[in-house]
Formats: sequence, C-alpha cells, structure tokens
Amino acid sequence: MKKIGLVFNGVWSHYAMATAPKYRDFYELVYIHDLTFGALRHLGALVIPFQSHQAELARRKEHLYQFLAEGGKIAVFGDSTPLWLEAQWEDRPVDNFWWVTDPSKPPVSHTDHHHPVYAGLAPRHACWHIHGVYTRIPAEAEIIQKNGDGEVITWQTRQYGGVLFGSTLDPVVEHGVQQIRHLDHYVDSLTAWLCGVRPEGAFSLDPAVYGVDRMDCMDDGGGVKKEEPCPKTAAS
Amino acid sequence: MIQALVVSNGIGGAAFYQSNAEIHYDVAEVTADFDPDLTPYDLLVVPNGSDHVAMLKIRDKVRAFLETGKTVMCFDGWFTNWLPGNRWIHDNTRPTKDVRHFIRTDRHQLLEGVDLRKFDHEKHGMSGWWACGRIECPEAADVVLADTWQRPLVVLDEVTTPGLMFLTASGPLGDFTFYGDPDGIPRLYRNALRLVANRLSGPSSDSRSNSTSQLQPA
Repeated sequence: MKKIGLVFNGVWSHYAMATAPKYRDFYELVYIHDLTFGALRHLGALVIPFQSHQAELARRKEHLYQFLAEGGKIAVFGDSTPLWLEAQWEDRPVDNFWWVTDPSKPPVSHTDHHHPVYAGLAPRHACWHIHGVYTRIPAEAEIIQKNGDGEVITWQTRQYGGVLFGSTLDPVVEHGVQQIRHLDHYVDSLTAWLCGVRPEGAFSLDPAVYGVDRMDCMDDGGGVKKEEPCPKTAAS
Repeated sequence: MIQALVVSNGIGGAAFYQSNAEIHYDVAEVTADFDPDLTPYDLLVVPNGSDHVAMLKIRDKVRAFLETGKTVMCFDGWFTNWLPGNRWIHDNTRPTKDVRHFIRTDRHQLLEGVDLRKFDHEKHGMSGWWACGRIECPEAADVVLADTWQRPLVVLDEVTTPGLMFLTASGPLGDFTFYGDPDGIPRLYRNALRLVANRLSGPSSDSRSNSTSQLQPA
C-alpha cells in the first residue's frame, strides 16, 4: 500500500488525524514548506485539507500538477484559490447547526452515491457542514454534490492525468477536532478510495504524540531541513 | 500602547486582531525560514489554527521573550513543546457535548463581565464547541477555567518564567467584536489585554486580590 500524503500547515487538527492510531499507518504529514515533487514521489495520493496555506500551495502548484500528471490522486477540501486550481471557490455562511432543527436535512441536497467515497453513506455522513461553494469548476469536471441552491459542493476531474477531487467539506479538520463523532464513515471511505485499504476500528488519540520536542522533518538544531523532503512527521 | 505580534499561517486568523488606541498589531507570516524578531514587542499572540512546527523552530526565542517579562498568548492546540512548562493534550475520551466551564482561580479578574453561559452553549444551543483537550500546567499556575471533569481549559502562568503565559485549550479568543458579543469571548480577551497593559505600566497598578475562589459552577 502506498501511503497518502496529508499536506500539513502545522495545524493541530491535521496532526491529530494523521497521528491517530487508526490512521497513522495510512497518512504521512507533508509539511507545506517542504512540499516538492520529490517529497510526494513515493506517495499514491495526496489530501489537501481545509485550513491549508493557499498562498504556499500556489507557489508549489507545479509539484501538485506533476504529481497528478504521473497518475496520482489529489483530494482538496474546504476553501481554495484560482491561483492554483482552475476553479472558483466562494465563501458562504457555515450552517453547522442544521441538525438542531432537522437532523434529516444536511446542507447538501444532491449526492452522487455511485462515487466510491459516498457509496453507502447516510445523508448526514455524506455532509455535516460545508465551507463555501464552487461557482466554477475545471472544464471536464463532473459534479458529485450540490447544495439546495444548485451550487457545487464536490466535483472530480481526470483532465490532469490522475484524479483531482475537490470538495468544500472539511473531513480531516473535523475528524481531528473530534467534536463531530460520526466522521469515521466518510474518512474511512475516503482513505479506502485513495489507497485501496479501509481503516478499521474506533478513532482514538495517542497522548504520547502531544508535547513533542521535535518533528521528524526537523534537524537537531530545530530547523526544517532544506535539502530533504519530510518523509514522516510524527513524535520522535 | 501594547505592541503585539500575531503569527499567521495563511488561514486568516490574524484578521481577528485589529489595531486600536490600546494595542498595535504586526503580523508575522510563517515561511520556510520563519524567524521573527520578537524584541520590539510586549505581546506575542498565537491564534487558533496556527503552525506549531514553525513555533517549535523559535521556541528558544519565545523562552527568551518570556524571560524578559513579556507576554505570550496561545489560543490553540500546541502539540509541539514550544511553551515552557505547559503542555496541551488532545483528548476525546469525554463527549464534548457534556463540557461545561467552571471558575477555579481568577486573581486578575479576567472573567469580570464575562457570561460563561456563552462558553457552555453557543447561540444555537450547542455545547462543547469552544475548547478541545486539556492543558497540563505547573501546580502553581492559575487554572482560570476548568471543564466538567476539572481539566484545565484556561491557564494563566506567571510562575514558570518572569513573563506571563495566557493559554486556552484551543478555545479561540480574539477581538471578535463583529459578533456583537460584549460579554462573551471578546470580553475575556479584552480583560487579558488589560492585564498586559497593567503589567506594562508597573506592578503597583496591577491590583491583585490574591483571592482564590472555591470551585464554583459558571
């Protein structure tokens, strides 16, 4: 199994998910400031989560498109910028309390459940809340999810070689935060689609990876290595 | 006027810290060579959603900043060990919906005018929305707020260094005045800034009651 790279903005929710015992054998943190094609070459797929550094992604777009051109899968969540995607994301108010009034009606009205990520998911497992919409998507993209106003939430295209998947959902951040406790369904399906193996068991956290004195991508002097990619970022 | 530096990793968190008559903010953008000069500042703010790989790179500089009596505020889950004497630990063993907030020690009146019911339940009635995990802090530090299971959620540490650390277990704090919420999150943040201003104007102006409240529900 080739691991899945998780583009890492140094944010705790990204770290929490990638270091959780259930997922740490599947995901490998790729610190955004170390992201080169060389750092991605050994990976089968890449997840760019919500709360990513969009300006730094734009500076590194050629590495992302090279990864796609060589057949990789990239899944982009949350917001994005046309500086590196041929798509237009727009902000919308976040409705994360819809379930208080009607738990049967999440803020997505259409989902293509033929897509492997969404196959078998209940409506509330396929959408917990959204961070904006796409008002423009790549020319050959297909729409996977729309909201009640017909705006695009999730799309996918193969026009760059591999598969580029975009969604305004935020599964990595929310699963890491653990305030929503039913996201295993989505994240497990996403993981299986990206690497071919489905994680099993309950989500737990390892206290030993909190309060770490160094990261594997840092040298002994405390600086991030410049010459080498960050092959694994976890507790030392 | 307080001179403050806010770290930013490109997700917009610095927008919640706007300069006014009492405080001036500069922004330190995280780059591959992140190494900000902290010496001109009284206060370092690390907002919710910050880059703790970058903060680990400058932890010696942060320690030196605190040794000169200055203030660090971190409103995030610092999974790397860059804050001296304090550790944040993520923990999902308790359901967040059951989290309530309890006052432990508030010698500096940080909770003056703060309605803690707004921390217990946000405006749509959801609970467990604010903080995550817990803080392990020195025994002599002030636990300002604890959760339902008495785990520290807000800590004021004046004992580890000559400086001041004001920390939340990832509970966002800032000048969120656009929420029109005068007795919620913005009030706690403004009270903390008042403490910083008092420290800058000298120890005699910082009226400390030295009273430690008994554990009481919010």
